[in-house]
Amino acid sequence: MKIDLKIRRFNPTTKNGREPYYQAYSIEASEGMTVLEALMSIAAAQDPTLSFRRSCRSSICGSCAIKINGFTKLACSTQIIPEHEKAHEMVLEPIANHTVLKDLIVDFDPFWKKLDKVKPYLMPPETQPEGRTKEVHISEKDAEAIDHAQKCIMCGSCNSECNALEIEKKYLGPAALAKAWRFVGDVREEGGRKRLGRLSDDHGIWDCVRCVHCVEYCPKGVEPLTAIERLRSRAIQEGIKDNHGAKHVEAMVNSVKKVGRLDEAAMTFKTLGLLRSLGMIPFGLKMEMHGKMPHPHLFPQIKKIDEVRTIYAEIKRKNKNAKKKPKG
Amino acid sequence: MTLLKYAYYPGCASQEITKEANSSTRLVADKLGIQLHNMPKANCCGAGLLTDYDYDLYITLNARIFAEAEEMGMDILTICSTCLMVMSRAAFDLKNKPELLDKTNEVLAKAGLHYSGNVKVKHLLWVLANDLGIAKLASMVTKPLGPLKAAPFYGCHSLRPSDALGFDDPERPWSLEAVLKALGAEVVDYTGKTKCCGFQVDLVTEDTAIEMTGTRLLDAKTMGAECIVTPCPFCHINLDNYQSAAEKQLGAEIELPVFHLAQMVGLALGFSASDLGMSRHLVSAEKILRR
Repeated sequence: MKIDLKIRRFNPTTKNGREPYYQAYSIEASEGMTVLEALMSIAAAQDPTLSFRRSCRSSICGSCAIKINGFTKLACSTQIIPEHEKAHEMVLEPIANHTVLKDLIVDFDPFWKKLDKVKPYLMPPETQPEGRTKEVHISEKDAEAIDHAQKCIMCGSCNSECNALEIEKKYLGPAALAKAWRFVGDVREEGGRKRLGRLSDDHGIWDCVRCVHCVEYCPKGVEPLTAIERLRSRAIQEGIKDNHGAKHVEAMVNSVKKVGRLDEAAMTFKTLGLLRSLGMIPFGLKMEMHGKMPHPHLFPQIKKIDEVRTIYAEIKRKNKNAKKKPKG
Repeated sequence: MTLLKYAYYPGCASQEITKEANSSTRLVADKLGIQLHNMPKANCCGAGLLTDYDYDLYITLNARIFAEAEEMGMDILTICSTCLMVMSRAAFDLKNKPELLDKTNEVLAKAGLHYSGNVKVKHLLWVLANDLGIAKLASMVTKPLGPLKAAPFYGCHSLRPSDALGFDDPERPWSLEAVLKALGAEVVDYTGKTKCCGFQVDLVTEDTAIEMTGTRLLDAKTMGAECIVTPCPFCHINLDNYQSAAEKQLGAEIELPVFHLAQMVGLALGFSASDLGMSRHLVSAEKILRR
C-alpha cells in the first residue's frame, strides 16, 4: 500500500534548510515493513540528502529513536502499516529535548555528559574489609533488583519523552538515573552513600515529575521511574533527607500513619519549613477566600487506623530482619 | 442493564482542597444511576510518595484498600488520576507476581486482612465512557454545552503506564473527547493534553511546576480553548490555583477556567454553577457560564 510521509528537515549549512520544514515523501509499503526500512528506501531511491542514524536494525544498538506521529519510538521496531492505520498519518521528527544537528539527527553529547555525571561504573571498596573473600556471591534476587536497569540501550527515548527535562534542561534525566540505579542497586557497590548524596542534590532524583512517560516509551522495559523510586528509597534509608523531596515523602509517610491519609497543610509546612511556608501566605490567603486552604487536622481519622499502623510496624520489622542477614 | 455500583474512592485531595469535585461527582452519579458506596476504612494510596519511601509498604497499604473493596464485592471508582495510576500499578503488580501477593498477604494477615488479587480500579471517566456508555450519557443530557470550546486535559496518570491501566490509548486517547462531545461541547485538540501538569513537584521544584502548568494552559489557549476540563484534581489544583503564578512567570495572559470532569457533566445534566461548587475555583468561570 502507498503511504505518505512527512519528515522534518533541517540543515543549518544550507540556505533553504536553516529553518526547519516538513518534506513530503511517498513510499510503497509492504507487510511487515518498518519505519526504518521506509527511511532507508527513501534515502536510497528518492533523496540521498535525508539524514538519520541507524545501525543494527534489530533494536539493540539504540541509534534510530525518532518521534513517530508525536511519540518517541525506535524506527527499526515500529511497523509502518499498523502505525499508519492507528494515527492516519506518518509524521517523522527528531527526538525532543535534544538539539537537532541535521534532519532526524540530534546532538547526543549532553546525553553522554549526564551519563558521565552519575559515574557509570562500580565503585569497589578502597581497601578490602577484613574477613571478606574476594568473590561476592550474587543471588538471583540481587540480580533481579537491577536487571531491568541493565537493559538500557541508550537510545534516548526516555529523555526525549521526559516532561521534567522539557522544562528543566539541567535535570539529569531518566536515562542517567536508571544507569545510576544499576550501580547503586548492585550488591558489589561500595560508593552508594556518596553517590546517593550527589544524586539528591539539585537536578537529581527529586526533579522527576512522575509523568511515567519514561516507562511508557522505553523500548526495552528499563522502567527508569522504578529506578528513580528505588534511588529515592535508598537515599532516605541512608539518611539523606535534607532536601524538599525527601521531606515531602517523609511528611506523607507520617501523615498516612497518623490519620490514614494526606494532610495537605502539614505536608506543606513539613516540606518547605517555616520560612518558605510563610512565603506561601499571600497564595494561602487567596486559596482561603475560595475555601481552598487546607486546614491541618480537620481530617477525621480513617476507620480502623490500627490496621494501617500494624502494617507499618510489620514492614519495619521485616526490613530490619532483612538487613541483619549477611550479604549474599 | 447491569447495576452500576462501585466502591467509591474520591482520594485525599477531593475530600478537602478540591471537595467540589467530590460533591459534583455525587450529584452526577445520583442522576445517572451510578451507585457510589463509601469506603470508610480506606487509607491514602500514597500518591507515589509512599512508593518513593518503601515499595513493600506502598503495595501493602494499597492492598488494604483493595481488601475493603473486595469485602464490599465491588470494583473501585476513583475521581483522581493519580490515585488511579498508583492503585493500578499496585493492582497490576499484585496480579502478575504471585509471590508478591503471598508476601503482601502475610503482612495483611497481621492486621486480620486478606486480598485475593481481583479488584479492578476504574476512573469516573472510564465508567462514563464505558460502563455507562457514551450513548446513554448523551441521552441524559438536558442542557447541551454548545458552542463551548473545551480542551480536554488528561494529564499523565489517567493514561500511563498503559499496561497497568489497561483502558485508553495514551497516544490517541478518546474517552474524554467522547464524553465532552456527548455533553455537546466542541473539543479542542492540542499537544499538551496528555502531558504532565507538574503537580508532583509543586513543593519540591516550584518554578518547574509553574512553568509546566503555564505551558499546558498556553498550549490549549493557542488552539482556541475557552476552558479546560480535567479528570484529575491534582491537575485542577495546578491549572487553576497556579494559573496566576504561571501568567506572571511566563509573562502571558491566560485566563482559562478549569473544570473538573464531574462539573462539566453536571452542567450538561442541568445542575447550576453553585450546585457544582464553581465559586471555589480561583479562575472565574462566570464569563463562560453566563452565555
